[in-house]
Amino acid sequence: MAETKQVLLEQADLARTLGRMAHEIIEKSANPRELVLIGIRSRGVHLARRLARKIDEIGKFAPPVAVIDVTGYRDDRAQGQLLPPVGAFEIQAAVDDKTVVLIDDVIFRGRTIRAAMEAVERLGRPKRILVAVLIDRGSRELPIRADIIGKNVDAGDGQRVNVMLEESDGIDQVTLADWQGKSAV
Amino acid sequence: MRNLISIADLTNEEIEEIFLLADSADQLRASKVASGQIMATLFYEPSTRTRLSFESAMQRLGGTVISCSDMKASSTAKGETVADTAKVVSSYADVLVVRHNWDGAVQAMAEHADVPIINAGDGGHEHPSQTLCDLYTLRKEKGELKGLTVVICGDLKNGRTIHSLVFALARFGAHVVTLAASGMELPQYVIERLEREYGYHLAPVASNDLSAVVKETDALYLTPKQPHQLALFTQVDQVIQARLNSMATGLRYDAFYMTRKQKERIKEGTSGNSYPTIGVDFLREERFQNTVVMHPLPRVDELSPELDKDRRGIYFKQAAYGVPIRMALLKFLFDRREKKSSAAKTPALAYESSEAVGPQCHNPNCVTLKEPVSTRRRFALFSAGEVGAMILGCVYCDHRFKVQYVGNTKLKRYCPYDATVAATLDDWLKKGELAIFDSIKQAEELGYEPFKSGPQRVLMTEAEINHALVQISGEILRDCRNPDRLLVLGVRSVGAQLARRLAAEIEKQLQRRPELGEIEIYGGGEELRRIAPGDPDAGPLNLKDREVILVDDVIYTGRTVKSALSIIFRSGRPQSVRLAVLIDRGHREVPVRPNYVGKNIPSSENDRVRVKLRGLEQEVRDQVVMYSILSPVASAQSSAIGDGKTAVT
Repeated sequence: MAETKQVLLEQADLARTLGRMAHEIIEKSANPRELVLIGIRSRGVHLARRLARKIDEIGKFAPPVAVIDVTGYRDDRAQGQLLPPVGAFEIQAAVDDKTVVLIDDVIFRGRTIRAAMEAVERLGRPKRILVAVLIDRGSRELPIRADIIGKNVDAGDGQRVNVMLEESDGIDQVTLADWQGKSAV
Repeated sequence: MRNLISIADLTNEEIEEIFLLADSADQLRASKVASGQIMATLFYEPSTRTRLSFESAMQRLGGTVISCSDMKASSTAKGETVADTAKVVSSYADVLVVRHNWDGAVQAMAEHADVPIINAGDGGHEHPSQTLCDLYTLRKEKGELKGLTVVICGDLKNGRTIHSLVFALARFGAHVVTLAASGMELPQYVIERLEREYGYHLAPVASNDLSAVVKETDALYLTPKQPHQLALFTQVDQVIQARLNSMATGLRYDAFYMTRKQKERIKEGTSGNSYPTIGVDFLREERFQNTVVMHPLPRVDELSPELDKDRRGIYFKQAAYGVPIRMALLKFLFDRREKKSSAAKTPALAYESSEAVGPQCHNPNCVTLKEPVSTRRRFALFSAGEVGAMILGCVYCDHRFKVQYVGNTKLKRYCPYDATVAATLDDWLKKGELAIFDSIKQAEELGYEPFKSGPQRVLMTEAEINHALVQISGEILRDCRNPDRLLVLGVRSVGAQLARRLAAEIEKQLQRRPELGEIEIYGGGEELRRIAPGDPDAGPLNLKDREVILVDDVIYTGRTVKSALSIIFRSGRPQSVRLAVLIDRGHREVPVRPNYVGKNIPSSENDRVRVKLRGLEQEVRDQVVMYSILSPVASAQSSAIGDGKTAVT
């Protein structure tokens, strides 16, 4: 069966979208110098670094970028075996009284963001936590929202949003594909 | 009886006394001063040096040692509290040496032990015997501590030795330069204490007079390739950069104190930050000719092996001093066993909540959160002059945080903390009437009312509330995939009351009662429990694969919901969690969003929205009201004016 694939964002769209998101992050922070970006492994990290560069271009200030990995810690990982609901920081940053922006490529069920939110708590007490995502595909299972959204996509359960980035995939492109195979993401 | 929990327990004179005793360690050994005494070592975390040097010190003093090699495998694994362990082991030994992974755990144990207790490292908090050893080494090498410039580099956030050392160096009048690895800066509470108690300034600094801790250097690190250069990290502006360059060239450094990356405390991946290191190039730099290099060990790869052969690498000497200094410390404590406590630490103004709930330490690794039963939540009270904030400092872990809400226990009124009420609060504190809260929710749980308050405005009437609940329950059923799995969880206590009503409404429409529970966020005990509808045999709530409806009365910053989600996910793995609130008043600080909202109400930060329900706190009708909160000073003034008017008329 041939896979039907629809391109949602091309390279130029992606650049423009990230530019707008950078503006929105600056607008939503009371003081851009209090921003801390936290990229969620792995594509969230690339996006966080790009957004930090854009914010630097616009506001002449590059916010620190921290890196967190929650893959091993999401509550839906293994059946029966409940892992501690915290992520591991690969690069830390001071967050006390800062505006923390959690950055990921796609928000879906909301579980990743919740785990990341809990991990941030271990670093300190931010003034505020915002969520910025490139794609919001809906179907949340938790009462979590994204504050800054690149693009809303109405994807069904049988569809998959693929975010490909230059840094990891050699190409900047976002596609929507029908579900193929049995791998679950 | 004296303990050593923090380096602050010793005066400078007492530290000098211990140094003198350490100088004569051979005599202490010959005279067997601890003959017939038993030391118990309780290590909840691995240690080689600290434990062996304590045990060696005790045996050289003629005493004996009992030990539990792995506390985690002992009765602790069966759930024994640190308080009980301390009580029990007190009757087996004459002195306890404890290392624990929780901040403040040793203080908690000291409150229950009957013999002197020595902190051999508690979480990320302090490690005072290591600090004694560090100071002793520095004094041996450099003659005097006063006026030395010591650069401490590496992990300044998680390194417990560092926090003890920085305070001690400050007390002896040494200059401290901090060079933190990125994201591992000295915690704010340490910096604030340096400023407040030792008069250290953070900036600006003249190049040849570095009599201050320079905050900006926190953003620096020593690059592995050019360790002699102070290289700039990204987010430092040019003014600071220039200042740092001049500082770096004009200074005489007496000592570098390296720390290890505290891997076990930060759970890091293998990749990641550059960590400062000292290598061969460092040794060739002329201005470091007389700079000694110290390290508490174990080292990972911060120090080049070249340094081992160099006279300036004194870390093995430093480790060797561990035994005489600990012999001296034990002798010092044994000599004071019979005397009444006269710790150097002068207790600041203290606060302990007289109410059932009160402020909680903000440090997630603090013993007061990890094991509340072994502790009494007590805080030192400070006022931070410039900003006018009121600060609580945890007695156990020293973390400090700002007071958010205050109240009066007699009047049962509360208000947000504000510099203008500071004098009134001093008065309340003296009379023992001061209450402190982390949130309005806490205050209201205890039945406190705000200091009134502008005119009250009714936002929702009983009929409107009922209508909203009917509508929300309809929406819940519409979204529900499997009504058998529905679980309605209310946040105590107004949220739980609403949850009851929603469940009753759902029962009407579904002809079946959904399971009902409540979450308690500010209590010290059970966080999640069933709201029993007369079935005592029903077991604990099972969250697995459930469709949870979380219910609260008002959503504001969203922090309560965030805490509720943490509790839910600690207890099980629901299929989904949806949030129902009666009122959404905006001003979110965390990214949560309710799925069902009775009414959206735009409000200012000084407004208070309250849901009053029949059956709770003697309310006679359901309604939602809004009013603004005034400070007690303002309300006292307004009532005085009111009195004046009455007198005139």
